[in-house]
Amino acid sequence: MIADIGLISLSIAFLFSVYATLASFYGGWRDRAEWTESARNASILVFPLLSISVLAVIYSLYVMDFSLAYVADVSSRAMSPFLRLTALWGGQQGSVLFWAWIMAGFMMIVLLRKWDRDRDLMPYVIGVAMLTTAFFIGVTVFITNPFGRLWHFPGANELTTAVFQPAGAMPYVPQDGQGLNPLLRHFGMIGHPPTTYLGFTGFVIPYAFAMAALITGKSREDGWIRTTRRWTLVAWIFLTIGLILGGRWAYDVLGWGGYWGWDPVENAMFLPWLTGTAFLHSVMMTEKRGMLKKWNMILIILTYALTVFGTFITRTGVISSVHAFAKSALGPAFLIFIGLTFLGSLSLLFSRWDTLKSEHQLESFFSREAVFVLQNLLFLAITFAVFWGTVFPLISELVTGTKITVGPPYFEKVTGPLFFVLVLLMGVAPLFAWRKQAARNLGRAMLVPFLASLGITAAWGYTHRMHPGSIFGLWLVSFVLLAIATEFWKGLRARMSGRSENPLTALAKLIGRNHRRYGGYVIHLGVVMMVLGVIGDAYFKQETQASLAPGETLRLGVYTLRYDGLRDYPGSDGREVVEASTALFKDGEFIRQLKPRRDFFVVQEQPVTVPAVYSTPGADVYVLLVGWEEGQHDLTTFKMYLNPLINWVWTGGLAMILGTLIAAWPASRKHVEASYVIKPGRLQPQPGIGD
Amino acid sequence: MIDLEQDLSTESTEQAKPASSKPWQRWSPAGRVVAYAVVLALLGLLAWGLMKVRAGPLQSGLAPDFTLTGFDGRSVTLSELRGQVVVINFWASWCPPCREEAAYLEQTWRKYQDKGVVFIGVDYVDTEKEALAYIDEFDITYLNGPDVATRISQAYNIQGVPETFFVAKNGELRGAHIGPLYPPQLDEKIEELLAEPYQGIGE
Repeated sequence: MIADIGLISLSIAFLFSVYATLASFYGGWRDRAEWTESARNASILVFPLLSISVLAVIYSLYVMDFSLAYVADVSSRAMSPFLRLTALWGGQQGSVLFWAWIMAGFMMIVLLRKWDRDRDLMPYVIGVAMLTTAFFIGVTVFITNPFGRLWHFPGANELTTAVFQPAGAMPYVPQDGQGLNPLLRHFGMIGHPPTTYLGFTGFVIPYAFAMAALITGKSREDGWIRTTRRWTLVAWIFLTIGLILGGRWAYDVLGWGGYWGWDPVENAMFLPWLTGTAFLHSVMMTEKRGMLKKWNMILIILTYALTVFGTFITRTGVISSVHAFAKSALGPAFLIFIGLTFLGSLSLLFSRWDTLKSEHQLESFFSREAVFVLQNLLFLAITFAVFWGTVFPLISELVTGTKITVGPPYFEKVTGPLFFVLVLLMGVAPLFAWRKQAARNLGRAMLVPFLASLGITAAWGYTHRMHPGSIFGLWLVSFVLLAIATEFWKGLRARMSGRSENPLTALAKLIGRNHRRYGGYVIHLGVVMMVLGVIGDAYFKQETQASLAPGETLRLGVYTLRYDGLRDYPGSDGREVVEASTALFKDGEFIRQLKPRRDFFVVQEQPVTVPAVYSTPGADVYVLLVGWEEGQHDLTTFKMYLNPLINWVWTGGLAMILGTLIAAWPASRKHVEASYVIKPGRLQPQPGIGD
Repeated sequence: MIDLEQDLSTESTEQAKPASSKPWQRWSPAGRVVAYAVVLALLGLLAWGLMKVRAGPLQSGLAPDFTLTGFDGRSVTLSELRGQVVVINFWASWCPPCREEAAYLEQTWRKYQDKGVVFIGVDYVDTEKEALAYIDEFDITYLNGPDVATRISQAYNIQGVPETFFVAKNGELRGAHIGPLYPPQLDEKIEELLAEPYQGIGE
């Protein structure tokens, strides 16, 4: 009954989204405002309709309505109610619905908020965004319908899934469901998938505005950039959070002591992040100087195309990955959608190429403009390198008949130096002036951070001579950190002496008056912290392995692990747990008990290794229970990792979130304009700056 | 004066050129053709990949023949193993799920090695040093060797690692298993194949 309501509501949502697409394009084409208005109303309704469908799936999961194939597939009686709810995005059908739902939600907010501001663009914004939404709803309705039921043909060995009763089949309701993939039964399941989806779908808004600007020829003006600025930030931060949570999840669950493996599925998410980050920076140039307009278009198209590409390769398994994603029937439909998106965007871009002329020319290679162009190039180069490595197995198999997989070493070697320069640029860019920079002033501005960082590096290098690479890395981190700190200090000093404020007030006001700039610096600080974490991972990680009898110890660095015993007990969610008791000592002093586990999920016949972690700001001690002698619990094998500085990766992530909040915080218009628009001096007044 | 913005017209084909002083007013037709060609090539590549994935691993018919030379120098040819049940396991040292099944595979091999069952481990896209460490770690005693030029994995159209193929006594494929094997899946399959009657055909 509830499921039927969900299905009906889903179908109506599909019709509405198709109608909205057609009506808005027609309204725009014929300049008929009433059609656009009607399309807007239909678009706004899609979200509530999909909400009903989503609620119907959630309800069915909650009450365990196993007549639905999806519910039987991803939930089971042994799962806690909370896990059953997260199963909404635990499988293909539910996650595509969830995806469409978020996209419709974004669209509704746009249409409720920004309706009057960009009237000319709106018909096509609705058209492009609703076309995408209609595609995803269509996939949900026709290909991966979460309301499909299980049917049994008399005499058949297997069950059939269909929305409506096939002739001659009997409805079938299993006693219990399969249950969610054990690897997904984790706290990370609340955070990683939804944030990832929010990030991926969020980019559809700036993309739709960009396409609308191209279709209407308004691409000459930069209105679309200002309207979508905050949207881009929102999509970007969710993508960032999704990436970090994904890494954290891998670290906690997959049991290999790391958080990033350059797997195709990870790269699929990293690629749009790279171009999205470049886009965020590039639009600043357009806002301030009316330059890099072509770049913006190319970057937003690339970002959106890469989100679609990423979805495609993860959902179809075209590029083999260690991630277990169900292969599904949505491949061909998706391929057509990708083809239309890529070719449509490209031909639109070409047709309006001439409207994207720069308002100013680059005056000097020694200017902030040039630094921005360089960073765009670096981001694109990294994107290309990662993309190439990701699709290379496919290309090599097609061309030479041999599948060659490039592993992490390729990605590290190729992108490492590029990231080095990029991070360096992040530190020095704020020191460059717009238009032209006198070399002497620049040198003076950099002198203090540079000398100080050399000092720190020398001290560090003296104690860590065995890792030359880490010395470069540490120099980079300390230099960029000091350069950013100098920026804060300059602003603070000016306020404190000029207005005699105390340091805290000055800091709060400094950030408040110029929140985009200082929010950006905080994000950059977060990146520096992450780089520190990556250096720890790259150069100082240690691991060891041993089989221990009770009472025996294993040593790694200053830590010693003593094995005390093994016990097994039935756990929640239908698992059998084998848990080792160990005691961790540092320099001979007892610190705490660690209990690494191996959970065996009986129904799925799948084991999950749960590491025990002792975490400090300096390093994590990460212990895995690898195996034990069957029957007798005498000899048990452990793997022990020492992961120095890894917590800086997560701390850096938090700093990035904080910085984004500061940057996206709505401020009074007066402050923003006053602090943000540069006065172009002798130049002509710039059209398009300040609304 | 350098007009960099104009010059960026070459960028979207992802080949950065240093700024030159020659101003470009528009995309040259050649540039556009290249851009379209790149996009179409990518779409073609994805379509081809999709077709391959949808075909799935080989499940039936005569198992493609191959000769594998092991890390220890022993070698084996599939077609010479008629009359025995063959388990072909594709793995790699860099593959975490492979570790899940490694001990179970070795244990099952020791159980059946004298009962007319042959295990072959095909090491997919790996380095010898790490592969040997892996074999050592799990104390694997059945024949394992590198899949040179990925010929074997392509013949079987594997989707990833680990993946295991079962060959009946008459040389026919009897199914493939994607992902790690857990007890008692492998034992059951082997028992099933061992139970099949087989008359050696004199050649």
